[in-house]
Amino acid sequence: MKLTRRHFFKFMGAAGASVAALPSSASAWESKAPPDPYGCLVDLTRCVGCRKCEEACSEVNGLPTPERPNCQCTIFEKKRRPDEKAFTVVNRYFTGKLDAFDNPLPTFVKVQCMHCQDPACVSACIVGALTKDETGTVRYDVSKCIGCRYCMVACPFEIPAYEYHDPITPRVMKCTFCYDRISKDGGIPGCATICPTEALTFGKRETLLKVANKKLKDNPGKYIQHVYGEREVGGTSWLYISAIPFDRLNLPVLPDTPSPKLSETIQHSLFSYLWSPLALFGVLGAVMSKSNKTAEKQQNKGGA
Amino acid sequence: MIKRIIFLVTCLILTPVLCVAEVWKAPDQERAKERAKEVVPFVTEYKNDDQITRRISLMDTGISIQDVTDTYFLLDSPIIKKREDHYEPVRFSHKRHANLTNDCSKCHHYRPKDDTALETTRCSACHQDSFNPDHPERIGLKAAYHQQCMACHQEQAKGPVDCKGCHLQNVPDHKELVNLPDNADPFQVTAECLRCHDTQAEDMLTTAHWLWKGPSPYTTGHRKDIMHGKGTTALNNY
Ligand code: SF4
Ligand code: SF4
Ligand code: SF4
Repeated sequence: MKLTRRHFFKFMGAAGASVAALPSSASAWESKAPPDPYGCLVDLTRCVGCRKCEEACSEVNGLPTPERPNCQCTIFEKKRRPDEKAFTVVNRYFTGKLDAFDNPLPTFVKVQCMHCQDPACVSACIVGALTKDETGTVRYDVSKCIGCRYCMVACPFEIPAYEYHDPITPRVMKCTFCYDRISKDGGIPGCATICPTEALTFGKRETLLKVANKKLKDNPGKYIQHVYGEREVGGTSWLYISAIPFDRLNLPVLPDTPSPKLSETIQHSLFSYLWSPLALFGVLGAVMSKSNKTAEKQQNKGGA
Repeated sequence: MIKRIIFLVTCLILTPVLCVAEVWKAPDQERAKERAKEVVPFVTEYKNDDQITRRISLMDTGISIQDVTDTYFLLDSPIIKKREDHYEPVRFSHKRHANLTNDCSKCHHYRPKDDTALETTRCSACHQDSFNPDHPERIGLKAAYHQQCMACHQEQAKGPVDCKGCHLQNVPDHKELVNLPDNADPFQVTAECLRCHDTQAEDMLTTAHWLWKGPSPYTTGHRKDIMHGKGTTALNNY
């Protein structure tokens, strides 16, 4: 073993220097969020759990009709997730709230892709099949997708689903924000169009944030003082306001940092310090050739 | 049997008569239909009174249930139809609701800022298209109806809160959908129904109509008897 203690510390010093250089490149991360995206504000105090949004979503996206669209009797007994056959589902939660007659009051929560401002799925996709559009939509291009399903792992809301049943042309399936509709003038997503109570308000994200914050300010007893999606993972296009804390409604507690910021910073630092693995190989190469030589010498000695 | 023959004969005689005679239309319904088609100018600004102030000012103007001129409305509008058309309009007894609540401010919750405007202006003056970017906080007409009706029905524990309690669903014209030969036999007819209505068929298979099992609360002497029927005491297979 010819790598002396001093050499070793020298090498570690170099590696340490490259690690120390990390923070400077971290500040180089920049949000790629569109400046004026659309959004949708979900007011959970208005949702009556009619599941018309599920029905409309299937209709406008050519998906199979949801299970028993006109009967809400047993569907809420299990908690459902959006899947490859349904871009959105509504779940029911009993959180202990009672109505004037002491009956438990349900809270209904519609779930779909949040169309994050800096989406983890877009950042994780290695072929650019997912993109964040100017409208705010996170779009999926099946022709680019290689089926690696990194997006499914990356998404903090566990949204993208995969057509496992289709062996020939499987697709990643998630809410499209009805891009074909909203990219046209005056277009509104299918779910927001049908919602009978305007539990879903469609509009510019900026405007919706103002509306939401005004509602919280004007009705302090009614709403909890938090617009879910305003800052979560750097902000999302879909926003929620509620009378019940969000973690009790299965909307996960998430940091304000956009998920891609962390992962991309690490990746980019590795790329910009690409020379460091080279240096490592250099050192290792030198060690190897040295020890080879020593071995040769010893062999020669032994042979002599 | 005789009754049935008489009925059929009467029908045969009456049919041509009915075809010629003009169909009677309920004047209220016709008026309501016409009214529902109107789109009035949008009220941009309203007086932001709280409910008690509003109630008092309505009382001060001397407006009461006696002033209700329109007893019956159809809650329908081209504003809603423009976006979607899934249900039949709701028939709304204005006067009856006024009597029941005895408080006009429950629905006429704000008034236009313009002092010359009507005190009890109609819903669709302030609530029109949804998601109007110029008035983002103003809900659309459809949502205004639903929020108002459902919330009050829930609060009062009176009146329907489910879709079909107020609406008839638009039933598609089955003339276009049903595809049967002339003089189809019963099996063909059933098969044709099942072509679309498979959920209903499955449900039917679990009911007493099919199983012939279960309590018979309306059969004297067998009210609690659950063991009569197909597969037990009866030998038919209808
Ligand atoms: S919710 Fe998930 S799938 Fe939707 S944009 Fe965000 S990361 Fe992507
Ligand atoms: S925005 Fe469109 S795709 Fe997304 S949940 Fe609503 S209807 Fe479905
Ligand atoms: S359509 Fe609106 S009210 Fe009905 S379940 Fe969906 S979000 Fe809730």
